[in-house]
Amino acid sequence: MTDHFPWLTTLIALPAIAALLVPLIPDQNGKTLRWYALGVGFLDFALTVWTFWTHYDISSSALQLTEQYAWVPQLGLNWSVGVDGLSMPLIVLTGFVNTMAIFAAWNVTQKPKLFYGLMLLLYSAQLGVFAAQDMLLFFIIWELELVPVYLLISIWGGPQRFYAATKFILYTAFASIFILLAGLAMAFYGDTFSFDMATLAQKHYSLTFELLTYAAFLIAFGVKLPIFPFHTWLPDAHGEASAPVSMILAGVLLKMGGYGLMRMNIEMLPNAHVYLAPVLAVLGVVNIVYGALNAFSQQNLKRCLACSSISHMGFVLIGIAALTEVGFNGAVLQMISHGLIASALFFLAGVTYERTHTLIIAKMGGVAKAMPIVFALFTVGTMASLALPGMSGFVSELTIFLSVATSPVYSVAFKVLITLLAAVGLILTPVYLLSMLRRVFYGQSSLPEQAIAPWMDANPREVFIAVSMIVPIIAVGLYPKFVTQTYDVKTVAVAAEVQESITRVAQAKSLEAIAQQPLEPHQLQAQGVLSAYSPTFSSAGFSSAGLSSALIAPAIPR
Amino acid sequence: MEPLYEYAWLIPVFPLLGAMLVGSGLISFNRATNALRQMNAVVIISFLGAAMSMSFALLWSQIHGHPVFLRTFEWASAGSFHLTMGYTIDHLTAMMLVVVTTVAFLVMVYTDGYMAHDPGYVRFYAYLSLFSASMLGLVISPNLVQVYIFWELVGMCSYLLVGFWYDRKAAANAAQKAFVTNRVGDFGLLLGILGLYWTTGSFDFQIIGDRLQELVSSGQISIVIASIFAILVFLGPAAKSAQFPLHVWLPDAMEGPTPISALIHAATMVAAGVFLIARMFPVFEGIPAVMNLIAWTGAFTAFLGASIAITQNDIKKGLAYSTISQLGYMVMAMGIGAYSAGLFHLMTHAYFKAMLFLGSGSVIHGMEDVVGHNPALAQDMRVMGGLRKFMPLTATSFLVGCLAISGIPPFAGFWSKDEILGKAFEANPALWILGWLTAGITAFYMFRMYFMTFEGPFRGNSTQAKAELLKAPALAFGPGAMDPRELEQGHDGHDSHDAHHGSESPHESPLTMTLPLLILAVPSVLIGLLGTPFHNYFEAFIYSPNETAAEALQAATEADLSEFWVMAGNSVGISLIGITLASLMYLRHKIDPAAIAAKIQPLYQLSLNKWYFDNIYDAVFVRGTRRIARQVLEVDYNVVDGAVNFTGFLAVITGEGLKYFENGRAQFYALIIFLAVLGFVIVAV
Repeated sequence: MTDHFPWLTTLIALPAIAALLVPLIPDQNGKTLRWYALGVGFLDFALTVWTFWTHYDISSSALQLTEQYAWVPQLGLNWSVGVDGLSMPLIVLTGFVNTMAIFAAWNVTQKPKLFYGLMLLLYSAQLGVFAAQDMLLFFIIWELELVPVYLLISIWGGPQRFYAATKFILYTAFASIFILLAGLAMAFYGDTFSFDMATLAQKHYSLTFELLTYAAFLIAFGVKLPIFPFHTWLPDAHGEASAPVSMILAGVLLKMGGYGLMRMNIEMLPNAHVYLAPVLAVLGVVNIVYGALNAFSQQNLKRCLACSSISHMGFVLIGIAALTEVGFNGAVLQMISHGLIASALFFLAGVTYERTHTLIIAKMGGVAKAMPIVFALFTVGTMASLALPGMSGFVSELTIFLSVATSPVYSVAFKVLITLLAAVGLILTPVYLLSMLRRVFYGQSSLPEQAIAPWMDANPREVFIAVSMIVPIIAVGLYPKFVTQTYDVKTVAVAAEVQESITRVAQAKSLEAIAQQPLEPHQLQAQGVLSAYSPTFSSAGFSSAGLSSALIAPAIPR
Repeated sequence: MEPLYEYAWLIPVFPLLGAMLVGSGLISFNRATNALRQMNAVVIISFLGAAMSMSFALLWSQIHGHPVFLRTFEWASAGSFHLTMGYTIDHLTAMMLVVVTTVAFLVMVYTDGYMAHDPGYVRFYAYLSLFSASMLGLVISPNLVQVYIFWELVGMCSYLLVGFWYDRKAAANAAQKAFVTNRVGDFGLLLGILGLYWTTGSFDFQIIGDRLQELVSSGQISIVIASIFAILVFLGPAAKSAQFPLHVWLPDAMEGPTPISALIHAATMVAAGVFLIARMFPVFEGIPAVMNLIAWTGAFTAFLGASIAITQNDIKKGLAYSTISQLGYMVMAMGIGAYSAGLFHLMTHAYFKAMLFLGSGSVIHGMEDVVGHNPALAQDMRVMGGLRKFMPLTATSFLVGCLAISGIPPFAGFWSKDEILGKAFEANPALWILGWLTAGITAFYMFRMYFMTFEGPFRGNSTQAKAELLKAPALAFGPGAMDPRELEQGHDGHDSHDAHHGSESPHESPLTMTLPLLILAVPSVLIGLLGTPFHNYFEAFIYSPNETAAEALQAATEADLSEFWVMAGNSVGISLIGITLASLMYLRHKIDPAAIAAKIQPLYQLSLNKWYFDNIYDAVFVRGTRRIARQVLEVDYNVVDGAVNFTGFLAVITGEGLKYFENGRAQFYALIIFLAVLGFVIVAV
């Protein structure tokens, strides 16, 4: 099946194989082990970059570097991997964040072998999720990735770690059952049986079936993203997890939710997506505002940052819901950008914690005096998080705002509402982030004068990690095309697919309207918010999508 | 001249390089970089000097009729959507470049003296340089998105610099207040940009203006919608230029070191709002309702600021309210369509207000020797007095500034303010009356400030006066309001050199501080002559984008002189009344200000408490948001999480029940899954 060297399989398997070798390394206190883990992490990341640099064609939207081997033929399970514009940037992000997380976990004294082994295993699992092209394989790796996270939280976490870890595993494991259910249903649908994602995407499902599977995927990925009201595991998990685990959790694992939504819900079920996109937009706004307000009243530094993640991931939902190429582009960029920013902030929160030995904001205060460099880096991270121009968060949020404002499928009232409420998040974000920064770093030092020592400030390793995170954030902010061009072809292709669905749905609706058939309840609900608007004037800014909304517009009688 | 334009992008890049160089030095080799101290300053000042020379060259070439230069590149793209960035050099840009670079350059020189003993000396220079880069980037922006980018960047620099002394609680509060208030404005600006893009499909000022006109006149979009978008955009300038109702952050921002107050919060950044209104003129001018709103906002703000400045005892807060008031004049000018008059006032104000602020810094620097490093004392005019004897250079330049801002001919402020008032009279006499009254109040409070600070006996050694100030802290409200008691505890760190105070009399500041004052005095006196009604060179150079050069030249030379004499007489008259009153009260003490204050107690309290804006905002917005956030957290904890935990509890119960079903046979589980999938498919199909 594969005529080239199995690059992707190598990349995915390398950390896992390295993890298996960990018990053989004669090391008790973790000093050699951490270099080993870091070396493997970096090697894999470098290899990833090199592979994509030489073997990946950014001008094509097709799956590339594909490999397929039959694994368990009785079940129809194939080891099938491949990358395209949706997964490639996220795989690079995964390699980067994981390497940095291993480097951040420099002082693990408790069961170091298990710790680094699990970190490497988790590394592999994340790469596998983004590369899997077989539904069953996707599900298996998705489940596999939960185990290391569970253990990492429940062994190396804070005082409430068991509660947090159990909550995490219950939420995500329960939700992922829906992936299996929906995947199986799709595989059995119709005459052919296959788990291959490309085949599944080709099938024509009935609308009801699409809507149901869509809802199932939405629950599964909604827990991961997380979408309100499935988000409550996240502050607990972040509050208890150690900094490196938080970095991976916020930097990569949340992105799996967004990736899943784009891969399954949009690519495979575009018709249902056209119906349910308004729901996603509303959920996105709820995430933004609700997450921000929640963050404002959190008393724990890492819980505050966790709620800020909820808020920022809301933008991904809105971008996905905009149904345009600009929106999809912004959603992917927001995932990458948030991955970098959130992991930088969680890392710095960990650095601060190592000095203050508390995460309770009220017990900190004035620590800038003791660690001015950490303060400076934290300020940069905060600025990036509140979408300061010149940094990546601004570009992605601006793109998403533009996509909503110019989206041709929604009514003016709906667009105004979504934009306005999402923009309220723009005010709330600095309110809670700067309050947090002020309460932690500004003011008189909470530490006794004699406790302040030069060693308290960031050491070169920590400065290096933080700066390596900040450099790409600023690079994307200064010249976003440097990242967006690597996946733009793909998001345009996805948008074109969705566009077809919009046209199809519009035609179906006009037929229905002619026949005056009673609509089913969920359709009514979807129609209530979807599109009664067509632009009466045309100008350079509008894409051809305006035509289809003109098709939809007369189709809605109510 | 062409290479000059090709490389004009270097103007903001030079200071950015300086900031990056020093900044990365601070992050990676903190101690070594700090040890170099003045070397850093030299590097940063040289970079800015290079940018300043280029700016002068560009202004020269623009005056000699070089056409507008525009260079863009594609910055972001998604599918068929493209967003370009770049730079444009036209008359307005050239003027702004020169104003920003000259003021920034002088402030940087001044900083060397002012911050000489501060441990954050190097960091301060890095921030200053970063700010200069952002501000220069703002003025060369060719489209709205790029303006928005640099708009926020200057806001961030302002945040960093207001909170520069981060161990002061008041500074931290003020910095956050400044940022959040500006974000409220940016929220409007962003929505306005999105709205205008949605209707016109462009980010270019002129194209937006033209298309919007077309769409409105052909009835494709309602004038109401266009007005809403324009007003949303105006929220941005309103916040940045401290216009009512978003003016509350500027006085608090005085917590930052004084050079910052001069550069950012008087001369350049706060004027960015006026600059943006000028850039958006093609959009605003076509919508009379919005123009009216802008004019009245400006006029009211001018009055509001002046009415509060009368009762301020903190020299910097007094100047801050005066800045709010002067910005009000500029915005009013823009609103009545007096494009070049508003920008002319922007330019003259930049010079004389920078000088006044630097002068106040020099005073504070001198006072600190006597009263110690406590802003509650060193900035309070009640313990100053008679400083002219000790610091003659500072006193002279401050007097020049007072005369300029009061509108006494031939100083700079007279010409620009008078032009605005003249245009206001033509547009709407009510606006003129408000502006004219404000001019009188301005003269009064500026000379009150001058007399209290520089004339009479020196009160700094009166322990009684100091004790009173410390005992009864000035009324402090709101999250950002300064509470002197906090400062009492918060003055180690940056004042670690506290030991050397204790001299009996203040001293004149070092040359690095007085020299910039003297240099700034030159434009404060002379630059107004560019815009006399006899031959208005300024108007011939800076004219509205809706005008042609020929029209502007005609307007510039054909002023109605008889009307000018009447208007000028009126405004000089009320200024002289203001000055006389101030001298009677604070120089000769013929009138007791306390007695007057007691007679008009409610009005006095209104002014002293800044019209209670901080109290209202604190009660409504700050506490309101906190309350909502707390409630949301409770909901999250009890309802959302509670529901899930309850489900979990149910699951445990059912799990217990299902235990009896568990027989460990794989076939059984497979059957369950199969049935579930089957049910799913059946329901679906």
